[in-house]
Amino acid sequence: MKNLSIKERFGLDRFFLGERRVDGKPLTLNQRRIFILPTQRGLGFALLIGVLTLIAFVYNNNLAYMLAFLLASVFFITILHTYKSMAGLTVQEGQTTSVFAGEAAGFGVHIGNPTSIERQHVQIKLKTVEHFTLKPHSKAHLTLYDVTQKRGWHPAGTVTVFSTYPLGLFYAWSPIRFNAKALVYPKPATQEIPFPETGSTKNLQGRFKKGGDEFYGLQSYQAGDPIRHIHWKAYAKGLGLYTKQYGGESSAEIWLDFGHAPGQSLEERLSYLCRWVVDAEQAGLTYGFILPGLRLEPAHGVAHYQKCLEALALF
Amino acid sequence: MNPNLAHNKEILVFLLTSLGLIVLPHVTHLPWGVFGFFSFLLAWRFIGIWKPEKLPSFPWIVFLIVCGMAVLYTQHRGILGRDGGTSLFVIALGLKLMEIKTERDLYLINYLAFIVAASQFLYEQSILMAVYIVFVSCVLLATLVFINSHIADTTVSLKKAAAIIAQAIPMAIIVFIFFPRVEPPKWLWFNDPQQKKTGLSDTMEPGSISDLGMSDELVFRVKFEGALPPPKNRYWRGPVLTLTDGKKWVQARDFTYQRYLDKPKFSGPFYRYTLLMEPQEKDWVFALDLPAEFTKPLAQNANYQLTTSDDLRKRTEFKLTSYPTYNTGYLTKTEYKDARQLPALPSERIKQLVTQLHGYDRPPEEYITRLLNHFRKEDFHYTLTPPLMEDNPIETFLFETRYGFCSHYASAFVYLLRVAGIPARVVTGYQGGVYNELGNFLEIKQADAHAWTEVWLENKGWARFDPTAAVAPERVEKNIDINSLVPNGAINYAAPDSSLAALNLLKQARKLWGHIDYNWQRWVINYNNANQSIFLSSFGINDFKTMVYWMMAIVGIITAVLSLILLYQKPKQIDPELAVYNRFLKKLAKQGYVKQPGEGASDFAERIKPLLTEQVDNIENITSAFIMQRYGNNPSDEGLKKLSKLVSLFKL
Repeated sequence: MKNLSIKERFGLDRFFLGERRVDGKPLTLNQRRIFILPTQRGLGFALLIGVLTLIAFVYNNNLAYMLAFLLASVFFITILHTYKSMAGLTVQEGQTTSVFAGEAAGFGVHIGNPTSIERQHVQIKLKTVEHFTLKPHSKAHLTLYDVTQKRGWHPAGTVTVFSTYPLGLFYAWSPIRFNAKALVYPKPATQEIPFPETGSTKNLQGRFKKGGDEFYGLQSYQAGDPIRHIHWKAYAKGLGLYTKQYGGESSAEIWLDFGHAPGQSLEERLSYLCRWVVDAEQAGLTYGFILPGLRLEPAHGVAHYQKCLEALALF
Repeated sequence: MNPNLAHNKEILVFLLTSLGLIVLPHVTHLPWGVFGFFSFLLAWRFIGIWKPEKLPSFPWIVFLIVCGMAVLYTQHRGILGRDGGTSLFVIALGLKLMEIKTERDLYLINYLAFIVAASQFLYEQSILMAVYIVFVSCVLLATLVFINSHIADTTVSLKKAAAIIAQAIPMAIIVFIFFPRVEPPKWLWFNDPQQKKTGLSDTMEPGSISDLGMSDELVFRVKFEGALPPPKNRYWRGPVLTLTDGKKWVQARDFTYQRYLDKPKFSGPFYRYTLLMEPQEKDWVFALDLPAEFTKPLAQNANYQLTTSDDLRKRTEFKLTSYPTYNTGYLTKTEYKDARQLPALPSERIKQLVTQLHGYDRPPEEYITRLLNHFRKEDFHYTLTPPLMEDNPIETFLFETRYGFCSHYASAFVYLLRVAGIPARVVTGYQGGVYNELGNFLEIKQADAHAWTEVWLENKGWARFDPTAAVAPERVEKNIDINSLVPNGAINYAAPDSSLAALNLLKQARKLWGHIDYNWQRWVINYNNANQSIFLSSFGINDFKTMVYWMMAIVGIITAVLSLILLYQKPKQIDPELAVYNRFLKKLAKQGYVKQPGEGASDFAERIKPLLTEQVDNIENITSAFIMQRYGNNPSDEGLKKLSKLVSLFKL
């Protein structure tokens, strides 16, 4: 861990966004990263201590004083306990999943407890909160979701590990700036439109508009085969993965060209183009892909599909 | 956590049970209406855990609130003061139970419960009660742990709460010792009976008081013009109690006999002094025995007690003259009758005792001496925390318990004299006083309250005898706080015949308990401003500033120790074969071949083999030896040695 300059040390974003990080190594939560403040309930507890002290003072009652002091000590000691509930945990970024805009992107997190203390209740927050318990010397893998709006890179931003254990009087938190980012594809248009009629598709027109529907046999599964063509019944019987083959799939070839995509704005056109890519892949067609400045030769399968979507996302 | 936490059955059962535990000891002093109302609401809420539809709707809650206010009003006519305040909190707690919607409500109820727990101490301050309240606090904190746990578990929550409380106790004790104690201003007193009790009363009921108020509150100051009277003459006269029903002693019905126009005969030295009374409730002025000269607005009643017609709520000064030597002369018929009044015929035991001490056949003076000797020689003890003697207190005290303070001794002494036909009565007031060198005056505090006796003797008139002095002479003759004597052994708790006591384990245990209880009273309950400065100055802490520094320093040390204990993490124990294998990984990592997290040992080996063609054999051997050792059926020491050797030889 590098040393912080004074300005960095007291910068507000360190307390809420987390320190800037250069590497993706596992991060240990320690006194430098864990901050702690009383919660609203903690302030209520402090008020309770005040009321008890006042009662003790008015009635000059030593045992009431004792109770007030006991609770004050409990309040104080809870700081240590809350800190302890998350100190020493390690946090590491995991894999991210790519999604279409409007869907929730998932960011994987590996949380490890290399210590011999059981963590009763730790919480982690991106947009929603996840709860977990960690046994001594154990690990947990979580996925945090964040709803995306726009295509392009969606940074995870700050993931906050926090805890109010044991009494809920203090909130200890550790903001961790994740370097992970999820690729967000354009949102496919909701309206279904026919594939563009480009040169090479002309002779196939009418027959392969929406992919072949004549079933002619089974073939053992190969990576890239559309999921909805998998012969699930056979798989359920334990016969292995088979893909249903439909007539003419391999010979169908279309070109998905940005120039042919309808729509007023750039985003709208990308959205239609995206829809075509999704439909074509699902139908098992062989498709070429054209964006201004990019031309992908016709192919099909996951790799090709992702290449197209990536291009759309980053265009 | 979950929004429906407030409907979690386990939490509710846990919380409601702890509330029941907290309010339970209040049963002895809460009005039945308040206690009943709370129990009703608690029972309702318990049913509501399993049948939520049975819980009251909003209009019903309003109705219940009105009911609660009505109960409060009929029982107390107010919410200020100890009794009213306690009832208010108990009823508020009960009503809040009817509306548990969010987690916040759970916290609010929890906090209210702590206040109700604290109010318990305004009624009883025994060790057992303190232990009970700590236990209940533990349960209350456990409900908070329960709420904040991911996987809630009763035992784990209770253990955690107990651990937190145990860790909090040392710091609480330190703060308790150092926290500055200030007497609350008088306007903060809500006219409470509890507060009045510390002063002298016009009745005395020794058997029904289990501990005497030992307030350090100042009653009056006295400044003498000449020398101070010796400590054994410092008796400050208050109400004289003549009539008794065997339990309670009260003043005579009429004490303005005409005879008292005849003044007592005074002789010997006299004392002129100024008496400065603190604001008080009664119109009594405590003059030194026996006042001879006084001016208006003072008046003297037939028992030689001075009263004032001045405003009692402000400090007032009186100039007085007293003579320690006096003769009050003859008795009137009424007085004679009153001073020999007995509640009933004495029992055989009493008669035997009086006979044994020659009460019937020797002159009164001789009988009195024998009686005082009886108190001195027999197994009588002076204690501020005697057992309760509800039934026939005098006989119980004389023959059974034999533990008591001044009131017990005075009442028993007067009673035994009256059985022998000698006129006697109880005098209450203050005894002693602490000399203040700076102001050259005596300070008399509530804790100096005392009861002694007067016996009417031929040719002497009313003469003062103090039976307490026979048992605890230090209480009277020296000007020392009685409290400080017991720990020093000046007042003996141990039985004189120790061989006998050793046989009687129960008696021993009771004495031990008495001793613990006494120290509890002295060091905890009565730890006030004065005690605090005495205690702290024995460590050389004399002023406020040093006190605060010390408190901060000790709290800091405790925090440091606790942090060490809580936050120290043992270095992880690594299995030996893993340690060896890690050495191998380190060698590879130096050259840039890093094993990914989650990658198995054999997967890693397969991945790097093509990159390190000349090391293929070594990598294979090490990996398989490691896998054999770690996951194989029979790992052995030789296997470990072999692995270690292979790794040592491995070079890149």
